[in-house]
Amino acid sequence: MADANRSQAGCYVVHSAEKGTAGPNFQRFPTMEEAVSAVAGQGSFNGHQQPSNLTKSNNSLVIAHLSNEQSDASQCRPRHRFYVDTHLLGSGGDGTERDPWPDVPTAAKHILSMAGDGKLNLRPNEQIVIESRKMFTATRLEKKKMRSQRIAKGVFFCMTLSLVIPVFAILGYLFVQAWPALSWDFVTLNPKRMGTEGGIWAPLVGTFFLVLMSLLMAAPVGVMAGVYLNEYAKDNWFNRIINLAVVNLAGVPSIVHALFGLGAFVLAAGMGKSLLAASLTLSVMTLPVIITSTREALAAVPKSFREACWNMGATKWQTIRTIVLPNSISGILTGVILQVARAAGETAPIIFTGAAIFLPVEDNGVGYWLPYTLKSEVMALSMHLYTLREQINNAPLAMQYGTAVVLIGLVLSVNSVSIALRVYLRSRKKW
Amino acid sequence: MVPHIEFDNVTVKYGSHVALDQISLTVPPKSIIGIIGPANSGKTTFLKCINRTIDFIDTAKVEGNVRVSGDDVRSLRNVYELRRRIGMVFPLPVGLPLSVYENVAYAPRRSGMHNRHDLDQLVEKCLQQAMLWDEVKDRLHTLGTKLSGGQQQRLTLARALSHRPEILCLDEFSIAIDPVTTMKIEDVLLELKNEMTIVLVTNLVQQAHRLADQTAFFNQSKLVEIGDTEKIFTEPENKLTYEYVTGGFG
Repeated sequence: MADANRSQAGCYVVHSAEKGTAGPNFQRFPTMEEAVSAVAGQGSFNGHQQPSNLTKSNNSLVIAHLSNEQSDASQCRPRHRFYVDTHLLGSGGDGTERDPWPDVPTAAKHILSMAGDGKLNLRPNEQIVIESRKMFTATRLEKKKMRSQRIAKGVFFCMTLSLVIPVFAILGYLFVQAWPALSWDFVTLNPKRMGTEGGIWAPLVGTFFLVLMSLLMAAPVGVMAGVYLNEYAKDNWFNRIINLAVVNLAGVPSIVHALFGLGAFVLAAGMGKSLLAASLTLSVMTLPVIITSTREALAAVPKSFREACWNMGATKWQTIRTIVLPNSISGILTGVILQVARAAGETAPIIFTGAAIFLPVEDNGVGYWLPYTLKSEVMALSMHLYTLREQINNAPLAMQYGTAVVLIGLVLSVNSVSIALRVYLRSRKKW
Repeated sequence: MVPHIEFDNVTVKYGSHVALDQISLTVPPKSIIGIIGPANSGKTTFLKCINRTIDFIDTAKVEGNVRVSGDDVRSLRNVYELRRRIGMVFPLPVGLPLSVYENVAYAPRRSGMHNRHDLDQLVEKCLQQAMLWDEVKDRLHTLGTKLSGGQQQRLTLARALSHRPEILCLDEFSIAIDPVTTMKIEDVLLELKNEMTIVLVTNLVQQAHRLADQTAFFNQSKLVEIGDTEKIFTEPENKLTYEYVTGGFG
């Protein structure tokens, strides 16, 4: 019943949508078979343009199912869409955009046989569109691919931006707040009256010595352990346990390191709160990361270099000294320096182990530059900032922010030394 | 006469995979032995047993005895001296990240040779033997890693000769080298035979035919047949060997 209604509802119209001509170029046919035959160039067609030719200006053919009164197929919904690529050499595929037919007669032949199989049932106001697929134009699938590619790129860019903006916002805000306090005197003068007046020389020099001491202890141990683990250690249970320990140690919170330092160095080893205990604690904290980054830098040197040396009778140490270390030193130093920056900024590990709340150094002479012994307590920038903020009521805001700016400037300048070093050593990379 | 290299019932396993299966053969001094066989037949493992670089593969297990000049290589305390006495060229060329000169001078320096004049002479001689001297003599101080693939392979050969080995192991040394240069190097190898034993692993069956005194055919980790090269190439005892050398293998 429904089928009968459909066939009676009107006629089939072939449109050759030629641009630049006045009005649509079309003809009516009583059945779809005749319409398709006309498309194939077999039946009669009274248009200006032979419909079997798809050209640049005439790049689609439409077979529409319309009522007798209608002549405009533009309101019709495309039910089937087929593609023709006249550049194809073969006999073509299934008429999809990905695998088009080579010419319109072939398309008509396939459409007729599909209609014969009952696969094409045009309801009124539906149409079949045969489009010319141009060479080197994107298919729908490719357009979709490009769209999702653009979206992915955009999302990742936004994430990057959301990372960069806070960095500049923080730096800018710190600078603005600290501006009234910033001066050469602020950096070079001792703090006075619990830090509410004067400068920050004592904590600055304290931080310097803390970092220097912890670096002197952590860097050689960490680098050598990394070399051992990567170059000498065989893959057995003992070394797997060491690896596991290193990885886990890297994840220990700094306040736990602080408690460990208090127990082990300050109390058990009898060092008391001192520069030595604090820098030992800092070096224990930075060791695992130095070991890991050293191993990564060493692993980046191709194994074939080592094997070539061993084949010539070089010992492992000769190989490490002459080939492996010279080609991984940039990565190793980068890792070490980044840990220096981290140590400079940490507060927790030094609170219990050696940081003094207020301990100015001498105002001039040797005591100004070398104020500390291993046994003395020290001031430190991070601790000083904490003190000004939380422990003292009337510390000027600008001085708090000034301390933060100097601390962050210290960290950033250490980082940029590391970047510069890496760029320099990379430029000398030899493979 | 003590054989220079002797494999006595050697089996090598990587985990459960058997890479060499009960290999026994002897190589007399100052001769060339050609090792032929399809991929994965144990040829490279065979070489690694000679200079004990098999030690660096954690999963490898070696049974049986490998003797060099009568000494069991596994009982040697100074394995570095063993490796110095064995020159090794593997198929993938590796230029060390040093200058061309330092690539060749690497091994002599490591074994204590520091006299600049001696080093200069040695480097030139090795590069000439590897047919590389004419191409690099004006740029000895450019990086070895910047040479072309074929040049790096010849650099590897020069390096293997630089520690004046008594045994030279060549694993597909000519895959990246043009045929004309290969023929020249083959002539050098025939000369070198007067001072060292050469183990030549090759996929070019005719290369083994041209150079080797005796030829061994490996297949599926086993030594199928070993004998005088003429015999292997004209009337081998094993059908597989015949098919392989005549190109009907597989």
